[in-house]
Amino acid sequence: MTFIKELTKGLIKDNPIFVLVLGLCPTLAVTTSVINALGMGSAATFVLLCSNIIISMIKGITPSKIRIPVYIVVIASFVTIVDMVMAAYLPDLHKSLGLFIPLIVVNCIILGRAEAFASKNNVIMSIADAIGMGLGFTLSLTLIATFREILGAGTWLGMRVTPMSYDPMLIAILAPGAFITLGFLMALMNMIKEKK
Amino acid sequence: MKYYLKLGFILFVFCAIASGILAYINTLTAPVIAERKAREEEETRNSLIPNADFEQKVTDQGMIYYVAKDPAKDELLGYTFIAADVGYSSTVQTMVGVDPEFEVLGIQVVDQAETPGLGANCTSPSFASQFSGMSINDLYVDKDGGEVASLSGATITSRCITNSLRESILDVQDEDQIGGEQ
Repeated sequence: MTFIKELTKGLIKDNPIFVLVLGLCPTLAVTTSVINALGMGSAATFVLLCSNIIISMIKGITPSKIRIPVYIVVIASFVTIVDMVMAAYLPDLHKSLGLFIPLIVVNCIILGRAEAFASKNNVIMSIADAIGMGLGFTLSLTLIATFREILGAGTWLGMRVTPMSYDPMLIAILAPGAFITLGFLMALMNMIKEKK
Repeated sequence: MKYYLKLGFILFVFCAIASGILAYINTLTAPVIAERKAREEEETRNSLIPNADFEQKVTDQGMIYYVAKDPAKDELLGYTFIAADVGYSSTVQTMVGVDPEFEVLGIQVVDQAETPGLGANCTSPSFASQFSGMSINDLYVDKDGGEVASLSGATITSRCITNSLRESILDVQDEDQIGGEQ
């Protein structure tokens, strides 16, 4: 039961972006198009999963005074491994994602989950937490990117969805558009939560 | 004191293990990546000037360029080289093919890390295709009075690509004339 609970809490109850408000830097940067959001989301989910597993495994042998540097070493190593392996064997994916991979190191969702969850729970629960949080992150990014791409470029996943006469609002793709969209979606999320 | 030395040592062990793993994976992937890059560059060259033999040459400034010749008739088809300049948030590298009169045959952005959604659109075919047929005098962005339509919201990236193309074409042109006189 708790496994399912940990798995689904990232979607709405503890959504990393709209509720925990973690990882906003990559959120604002990559949500200019849906494909970027999906790519960033899946790469971050993979790193989160690996780092949660290792960190919950080494929690017994890590002195608490140096836990943060140890976590960062673990996370940065996984990010570098993903970067190198992807560049060698999945070049097409690396071309579209390459830009975002270094950003994952500084994604505070991963360090945040390591500190708040994986360092206190066993491996199985940490896997559930990583998958749930990763999915919540990916879906939230996709949602923000959907609004920004349709308003700012008139496309969704690269396909044209607005009539040709629609003149795209460039501001939706620029940084202010990210803040405005995020604010509206957060308000909407709070409204839904309060009704419950 | 002893306690802090112990902490430092533990951290050192973690870092040593991590760098060991990374070094091992690097030795596995580095040759694959280098080979793929070389192959991609060759493919790009062939798509810019098809059916040609390429001969590598270096200018006095150390810029590498390739002379394309028709293998059957030993006729000069053009030149390809990589033009690079600093854009908005990265160095943009563009491979360009020119004909013997130094008119652009085609360009392809091979490496960039510009803003996604804005400058990064320079890799799109609709931006790249407009360069075909342009000569040095056309190679200015529209805001500078040239023929190149800049990407919306990314004038800096467009200008960087356009200027780097113009300058490196001039470099190769100079080199070619010196070579021709000798």
